[in-house]
Amino acid sequence: MAKTIVVLLDDKRLKALKGSGLEGKVASLFGGAIKALNLEVPEDKTKKILHAFDTARIDTRDCITDVPIAFNRVTFEEIAKAKSLGPEVVDAVLKRTDEIKVAAAKEKEYLPVPEL
Amino acid sequence: MIRGLKISTPFPHGGKLVDRVVTNPVKGRKMAKHTDAVFDIKPTLYQGVPVRNVYREIMSTCYGFFSPVEGSMTKAEVDRILKERRLLSNWVFPYPLVFDVSDEDYKKLGVREGDSLLLRAKGKPFAILDIDEVWRIDNTEELATKTFGTVEGNPEVVREPFDEKMPGWVIYKSLNPVVLAGKYTIINEPKLLPPFDRFWYPPKKSREEYEKRGWRTVINHQTRNVPHVGHEMLMKNAAYTGDIEPCHGIQVNAIIGVKRPGDYPDEAIIEGHEAVNLGGYINPKRHLVTITLWDMRYGNPLESMLHGIIRQNMGCTHHMFGRDHAAVGKYYDMYATQILWGKGIPSFGFPAPITDVPYGLQIRPQNMAEFWYCPKCGEIAYSANCAHDKEKQKFSGSFIRGMVAEGVFPPGVIFRPEVYKVILKWWKKFNYPFCNPKYVKEKEKILEIDLPDMKI
Repeated sequence: MAKTIVVLLDDKRLKALKGSGLEGKVASLFGGAIKALNLEVPEDKTKKILHAFDTARIDTRDCITDVPIAFNRVTFEEIAKAKSLGPEVVDAVLKRTDEIKVAAAKEKEYLPVPEL
Repeated sequence: MIRGLKISTPFPHGGKLVDRVVTNPVKGRKMAKHTDAVFDIKPTLYQGVPVRNVYREIMSTCYGFFSPVEGSMTKAEVDRILKERRLLSNWVFPYPLVFDVSDEDYKKLGVREGDSLLLRAKGKPFAILDIDEVWRIDNTEELATKTFGTVEGNPEVVREPFDEKMPGWVIYKSLNPVVLAGKYTIINEPKLLPPFDRFWYPPKKSREEYEKRGWRTVINHQTRNVPHVGHEMLMKNAAYTGDIEPCHGIQVNAIIGVKRPGDYPDEAIIEGHEAVNLGGYINPKRHLVTITLWDMRYGNPLESMLHGIIRQNMGCTHHMFGRDHAAVGKYYDMYATQILWGKGIPSFGFPAPITDVPYGLQIRPQNMAEFWYCPKCGEIAYSANCAHDKEKQKFSGSFIRGMVAEGVFPPGVIFRPEVYKVILKWWKKFNYPFCNPKYVKEKEKILEIDLPDMKI
């Protein structure tokens, strides 16, 4: 069964999507308080993601979670580049696994505190 | 205990609260002088990372959280727990609790049955272990598996074999082979470090606090999380149970100890819960945040039994249990805890709910389903009420953690702003929002206590 990656969209990411044709696919969560894109991941690719990133897991919503932040960032970059939520996005993300792992190792030590 | 329709404070498990803390330093020093050997407490390690520190078990035992347990268990007691989940005194208890040392340390100590061992923490005298028995764990992996159950042996609730991804299984697998069994006595009264000090309510003190507040009924909320609004709704709604009126008090009891990477730091968890009452979302007059020192085993139904014992000892009349209580992965049925408290688990020795067996518990379970956000209801809805299956949006802890890590300001429907500010406060302190190996290692050096100087 296919799983989902929920890609959170802040103002900057929403701006980057303008004109991509994906605006209509932006989902509203929690009464519109959160905007996100739902990227469908086929079963074989889900297995690859779970294998590549040891913290990754499937949560109660059937979503792939606990992936490195760098994974989410790269996923958004590939969506914006492809202007699509198609299977080619997951392939492109998986091609960047090594790069994500390097960034993830740094993330384990330090994450910048957001400003309120 | 029931008198008419009103419920009153339950007796401690085993009938009497254990109190093995010497508060007179002169007496403590005298006791320490008469010991036969000295041992510096070390954390239990797995692949070099701390997974448990027995000092927390000593604290929780001596301050009565685990009553009627008084110390490190004998082989016969451990065997009975693994077979029937009962102490030799017949009272129900879920886990073996032992003081384990390596062969090398045992040789160096040169102690035997009848000897007394002075235990030091952070280099200072802390407690005494009066050794009644020395025994060996032949196979720690076998002990770990027997502790949590098997798919074949416990088919009612165990769904997958336990392995290295299950923290409790790892703790038992990582034990040293020599067990020194006997009673603990704390001989140098520790001081809890801030911020833990203001949440320290050992059973005697918590019972006094309830009485002072006029709480006849108190429902406990188990936590290892910074509370999101779904948790808050669980607390508020579960507390509508009680007797002739809703529960007077809502107690949060946070388990403080080694956590999984990705969990929130303990400091953020307790202050996050406190922020719920400081922000007025639950009136502080009705809400009390407390802690128990324990390295969580994540044993779902077994952990819930320990939670019931701790909170009954603290004086709670009720305990809320949700889905996947104290669980990790999919090792247990997601409703395993509710099965234990609702109908019993015969393979663990309970043909009936553990409140209905001899020497069982008196605290009442409030088994709850889920809360989710429903845009159609326009509220945080209870799953048994809301029929909007397509619209519902579940509170996923990992999704929320992801949001926090990405620096996305969580909306008020997920985190109260006061609670999120607490996350940021401790994020700034640790340079990280969650537990990472650096935090865990540092924490095991500092622990949650300081000990006064005691010259012997």
